Amino acid sequence: MALTRRSFIAGVPALAGAALGCSSGQEERAGAGRDAVLFSTHSSKPGSKSILVCMPETRQTSEVWRGLSDELSRELELIALRIGGEDASATIARGIERYRPAGLVLMNNPTVDGYRRVQASAQQTAFPPSVIVMSSFLEGKPAHLRAATGISYEVPLITVVTNLRKLIATPIDRIGVVHRSSLSGFVRRQAALAHREQTAVVREEVSPKPNASEIKRALRRLKQRCDAIWVLNDDRLLTPRLLADGWLHGLNEPPWVPTIVGAASLVSPSQSFGTFAVLPDHTALGTQAANLVLDIADNDWQLPSATAQLPLSTTTTVDLTQAKERFLLRPSALAQVDKVLER
Amino acid sequence: MGRLLVYLHVAVKQRAFQSLLGAGLPGVDTTAVGRAGDFERALQDAPDAVLTLPVVLAANGLSPSLRGFARGSQEERYALVGAGAAPEAGKVASVGALDLLGREGTNRFVKRLVGAQARVERVTKIEDLLPLLQIQRVDAVLLPARLVAELRAASRLTLAERELDLTVGLPAVANTGPGGAALLGAIGKMPRDVSKLLGVEEWR
Repeated sequence: MALTRRSFIAGVPALAGAALGCSSGQEERAGAGRDAVLFSTHSSKPGSKSILVCMPETRQTSEVWRGLSDELSRELELIALRIGGEDASATIARGIERYRPAGLVLMNNPTVDGYRRVQASAQQTAFPPSVIVMSSFLEGKPAHLRAATGISYEVPLITVVTNLRKLIATPIDRIGVVHRSSLSGFVRRQAALAHREQTAVVREEVSPKPNASEIKRALRRLKQRCDAIWVLNDDRLLTPRLLADGWLHGLNEPPWVPTIVGAASLVSPSQSFGTFAVLPDHTALGTQAANLVLDIADNDWQLPSATAQLPLSTTTTVDLTQAKERFLLRPSALAQVDKVLER
Repeated sequence: MGRLLVYLHVAVKQRAFQSLLGAGLPGVDTTAVGRAGDFERALQDAPDAVLTLPVVLAANGLSPSLRGFARGSQEERYALVGAGAAPEAGKVASVGALDLLGREGTNRFVKRLVGAQARVERVTKIEDLLPLLQIQRVDAVLLPARLVAELRAASRLTLAERELDLTVGLPAVANTGPGGAALLGAIGKMPRDVSKLLGVEEWR
């Protein structure tokens, strides 16, 4: 069911905010002293080193913390600092000063940016190794930080397609994607990886600041040639205006193709946008980050590799109302989905 | 009837698994967990019975009171699966495996099966093994041989497998509380399709 333009725009701020959760952070003032400590764990191991975890306070970051602390708390002391608002860099700098950590874990873009400012203000200082998570479009070696590695937040297309094929009975061979030129490298690398699973990617490049007509045109072209549409979590393409006037119009007309999104809030039986969301499993992301920290510890607190890893574990959400109306589902489909939404 | 804690990795999502267990064990308060950390926490809540692999029971000082059998055996074969050539235990450099016992315990478990040379990458769900091969993080993944077909069905990679000589115990149940005996009886009568999902044909 398509929404009216007015009702969709009314609902969109929360939706867009969640879609871009990795880049927004919580707007709250936090001190850099003891009141900035969200959680801490104490290892029974004598002389254990400290890890400073810099994070905003959200449900997703708490899940990452759970995975981290389950893995690390026996061997290392963990201190989680609340990061938010304007004083992120001051909070982080004081945390480093106070706890002298052997390593850091940095969650989300504003936190990473705050730490970048800390490093920029002390060019001659050696910083402990850090692991970045929940930061959008992190690939390769993080260029803007010294001694940093991390895990990408974007679920690889190859994983997305594997999940979609478990759900939809018709062949999924060609995936269409709308993107800006600044993300063409990312899309090409994802396409090369997806090729291993015999998946072709059809790209429609739009201008750096596209209007709704451009989005609609790109979608109409892709839908003629592709078996599914993959929507990138690009904040420039998912503005409330483009969602309401471009994406919704382009997707809610025949020919129907499944739409895969990277935010649970973009899947809703009452809004009929994403058919299927594939998101990082945040607890597993914390476990993966913990393993990176342990690899660094095993390497005498030097980075074994600075290249960012891809996330391994995902959770899936399906709009069953839309999927049943428009597509042929596999008999076992619902046993392969974490969350089923139905009107 | 009692509280049952289930810690097993199966080929369906946790939501579907919990629902199947609820239908298959009516009247039983069942909690299914998939992560080692969640299992340790849930174990502190003193369940009446615990259903998991014997290797997990042993690591927690528990003994099986009821064992799962398939093809007349309480053990099952595991397989190494790689993309391209069939991987060889003793030679494979990196192996992806389900995290059964935390870092150290799982490393020991996997190295016993495939050799001490292997670097172990742990994942928490069966479906997370395939990405390890897709993104070429590991040379092979380790899983019960009965689940290889699921892996193949989900991928267009050319997957090759090799069954290992060593075997691993099938799921078993430990009686850990006053309601345990009744739970053992209920599990013994669990519907065939639910037991099959666990790799079990009968309970003894």
